[in-house]
Amino acid sequence: MRKTVDVSIPLGPVHPVFKEPCRIKCETFGEQILAAEVELGYMKKGIERIMVGRPWQEVMFLAERVCGICSVIHNFVFIETVEKISKITVPERAAYLRVLANELDRMQSHLIANFSYCYTIEHETLGMYLLNTRERVMDMLEYLTGARVTCAYIVPGGVRFDVDSEDLGRIMQTMDLVVEETHRYREMFASGPLIGLRSKGIGVMTKEQAEHIHAVGPTARACGIATDLRTDHPTYQRLKFSPVVRTEGDNFARVMLRFDEILQSADLIRTIINTLPGGKIRGGGTVGRGETVHRGEAPRGELTYRVKTDTHGRVQEISIQTPSIMNIEACARYMIPGVTSVADVTAAYISSDPCIACTER
Amino acid sequence: MTILQSLKNAVRQRSIHVCYVDTGSCNGCDIEVLACLSPRYDLEQYGIYVHNNPREADVLLIIGGVTPQWEDKLMMIWEKIPEPKAAISIGNCPISGCVFSRPATLTKAPAQRYIPIAAEVPGCPPRPTEIIEAILSVAPSLFKDWEVKR
Repeated sequence: MRKTVDVSIPLGPVHPVFKEPCRIKCETFGEQILAAEVELGYMKKGIERIMVGRPWQEVMFLAERVCGICSVIHNFVFIETVEKISKITVPERAAYLRVLANELDRMQSHLIANFSYCYTIEHETLGMYLLNTRERVMDMLEYLTGARVTCAYIVPGGVRFDVDSEDLGRIMQTMDLVVEETHRYREMFASGPLIGLRSKGIGVMTKEQAEHIHAVGPTARACGIATDLRTDHPTYQRLKFSPVVRTEGDNFARVMLRFDEILQSADLIRTIINTLPGGKIRGGGTVGRGETVHRGEAPRGELTYRVKTDTHGRVQEISIQTPSIMNIEACARYMIPGVTSVADVTAAYISSDPCIACTER
Repeated sequence: MTILQSLKNAVRQRSIHVCYVDTGSCNGCDIEVLACLSPRYDLEQYGIYVHNNPREADVLLIIGGVTPQWEDKLMMIWEKIPEPKAAISIGNCPISGCVFSRPATLTKAPAQRYIPIAAEVPGCPPRPTEIIEAILSVAPSLFKDWEVKR
């Protein structure tokens, strides 16, 4: 019988480039990767089990801790879900401030994703530059919400804190700096010859494959699928948002798309600061009984919450679908098989920005 | 104290290799450890290097309340680290389980139950400066005169 597989190489769970534990089993023929399988289950904490039977005040903080990197969007989508159930309306100023916090969070998430990629292909200089830029964004998130990571900024009916014109001016100044730096690093990434060798044409996924495996977020948008749930959100529609799309579908496209989205988020933040309406930041209201499904666009893709509450606002049933599970499958099925060396497996995997903590919850 | 010992003490103070292991956190503490690498906090100016490889580590950072998958693996990683070694837990999860310490949870905190912990940094998540401070205050004093104390 002809031998097709040489050796099965496991990567992980503790691996120098993985931030979180997961195991990739690669079947290789020489250096060629024939197939890959991602083994999960190291991070299962049972958050949905803990949430059941608890009041929304407690579930709000648990929802935020589904994922620490993109904590604002989990808070955002959960609160919007309970607002949809109880028909609570949000003042216009609060709706804009929510988007402001969300876009700052998206910027820092994309910056750390690009840092991880640069670190994986061992271009540490660019990675460190990006991490420094991220600190500027984190400072602004702290100015706005009072915390760096788990902010709990969004509450039903509005937001927790208001901003004054001094804070807005500071955020505006920082955005100018961040945009200037991001343009510089984007150019460095686009024109670096060694970065190109490690990125262009590696981990390619076509549009048909992405549609078949239901890829979401930047991974799908880098393959030419114009999917972004922010286009369905009323506040983003007022800000005239339209998604960024690239067509190459390789590692390079995914990282460049994230750079473009950072610039787009900075533009959105500037528009929000220039057009921020006055008025109250909290509308009030009580959380009641109901059941609904709500979706939002996390930095990694589509995030879905299905929540059922009772008359006192206690959560009876909840299920969360996070974006990374789709992208990890896309990675194992289409991006990793076909790469020509084991070193490119981690690069292709990290380029899809997997978040194991929110995948397993 | 011999000259060799004082030399070892001086060198060990300025060369701490760190491995971090995520045993079921929300990722918040992970990114704060990564933020320590940034030029603003600059972990490496204190001689701390993040390798994420247990075989060459001196300090193990434990992040997250321990999930069932990690109950035996945490000890396996701890055994792989050469002596002298120290474990520091980052965040509330390895201390008490934080928000995950509820009846239906799958995590089993504290991490003290599985391996000896030298220091705990509370916070959800702690700031990068606090993480650096903990490593710098614990590791050199633990590694000082290690051969003599043994």
